[in-house]
Amino acid sequence: MQATSGKPNKIRWYYEGLSKGVFRASKCSDCGKFTFPPTGCCEHCGSWNVEDAELSGKGTLLFATHSGSDASHPRFEKAAPFVYGHIRLEEGPIAQAIIQGAEPTPEDLKALYEKGPVPVQAVTLQMDDLPVIAFKLQD
Amino acid sequence: MRNQLNERVAISGVGCTHFGDLMETPAIKDMSLQELTAAAVKEALDDAGLSGQDVDAVFAGNAMVHSSQLPATYSQMSKWTGTQFKAGVHFEAQCSTTNVGLAMAATAIAAGVYDTVLVFGVESTRSKVKDYSPYEREPISHQQSWLWTDMAVNQAYGVPQGYDIFSSYNGLVALGYCRKHGISIEDFDRGMFELCRTRRLHGSMNPKANIQETMEDAAKRKGLSDAFEYWQSENNPFVAWPSRLLSLVTTADGASAMVLTRADTAKSGRSQPVEVKGFGISASDLPWYGEDPTIWKNDERAVEDAMDMSGIKAGDIGYLHTHDCSHISSLCTAELIGYLEPGKALDAAREGRLRFDGDRPMSTHGGRHAFGHAWAASAGSDTYEAVLQMRGKAGKRQMPKPPEVSVIHTHGYAMIGTVIVLGGM
Repeated sequence: MQATSGKPNKIRWYYEGLSKGVFRASKCSDCGKFTFPPTGCCEHCGSWNVEDAELSGKGTLLFATHSGSDASHPRFEKAAPFVYGHIRLEEGPIAQAIIQGAEPTPEDLKALYEKGPVPVQAVTLQMDDLPVIAFKLQD
Repeated sequence: MRNQLNERVAISGVGCTHFGDLMETPAIKDMSLQELTAAAVKEALDDAGLSGQDVDAVFAGNAMVHSSQLPATYSQMSKWTGTQFKAGVHFEAQCSTTNVGLAMAATAIAAGVYDTVLVFGVESTRSKVKDYSPYEREPISHQQSWLWTDMAVNQAYGVPQGYDIFSSYNGLVALGYCRKHGISIEDFDRGMFELCRTRRLHGSMNPKANIQETMEDAAKRKGLSDAFEYWQSENNPFVAWPSRLLSLVTTADGASAMVLTRADTAKSGRSQPVEVKGFGISASDLPWYGEDPTIWKNDERAVEDAMDMSGIKAGDIGYLHTHDCSHISSLCTAELIGYLEPGKALDAAREGRLRFDGDRPMSTHGGRHAFGHAWAASAGSDTYEAVLQMRGKAGKRQMPKPPEVSVIHTHGYAMIGTVIVLGGM
């Protein structure tokens, strides 16, 4: 079955992009805004008239905390606890993801909080069974 | 949308079980989910002076069918609740389930389809069916519980890429709140302690609460004389800095129920009815907020719709419950509603204003932390408490002056903002 935007499976397409270091999204042809990660419909105006797009991966980390010590999902058992952040992407979307470059300790997180918003760059974090997005602190 | 109820609708009966653990808590130990449901339904039907055969339809809520293994809940429960041959549906709106059920029932009654609707919610978050036994259960691990619960969260991209409830719902919101209002992390911590202390106080006065131990007693049990020392000890670790464990939900098993009926017939019932003045529902996928983690658009819309339908203003609210799986999120919602002044919620907690005997009482049953959280049953437990308060029947934790208007906000994971407005008749 064809998805509305012409790709057979948007979710697979997104993760296949990640495995190549590409950050895939949808862009609305009507309102011009991005939906990230991609769907077959604009999350802002509801239009089905969307096209494939790629994001730069550049963003700003607004806030960072940490995950629980015990992973909520088996995929992240080896990684937990990890720093988890709230990010504004250069193209507009807001994202939440694993953050690299800081430790999940109160000391590191407080220092990060007091520093205020900092630039980050999206990277691909290869888990055992899936590539996932993460954001790396930029000095 | 017209956003109006074309006929007046009332809650004529409410019921709620003890929230706890089906394998441990004496009040509900060894009960089946069928019996747990029946206990809440019987209380609600008795309260309304009705039997199961007096209702026209049954809206049966259960969110985590992985643990209950009871899909088609309305028919599987019908012989346990006396509601055979009634119209019915199994539905879920996760932690908003029972109050979304209330809204669905009010809509059906106001449309003239049904006169009386029974809504119930039942959940086990602590145990699951053991093997294929019809009556034996076994505990659910922490990870299994969240794995199943998080199935209600973005399964395409959020959960697969490391979504973490404690971060998204607690830590990031807390940091957003502190930054926005210029509050130090230390003052935030003290405010969260005071809020939890109030919730624990309320739980200690509620014989149906999951946790009935005050913070002071918990400290003593651990050999500490000061409750704040207990708060800052290893007993209360950071789960998503700067948010600590005791600012979170405690999981529970439980059931709740309510009977809704036409307002013009409600007064002939057994107990004092409460009018459903309005409601608002708005859902959002991740992320639940934009740059500012304290502002949730779905909550704004749900509040706006509920206020519009009911015709009330924030100043009319005498009792408020906001969804408090995350204590900081619950305060943000209370400020959004206008019940608390922006940026002053932590002060209100420290000053005792949120206590049952304060001027801004909230979550007098103990909230998700002390009363406990049984997903699909919890919103009904909030409504149960509001109805008790409005009737002046809340026992030790009764507000000095029963409220005329109550507002109940819940978050159905993830994330169905639901607001209902109740008023005296």
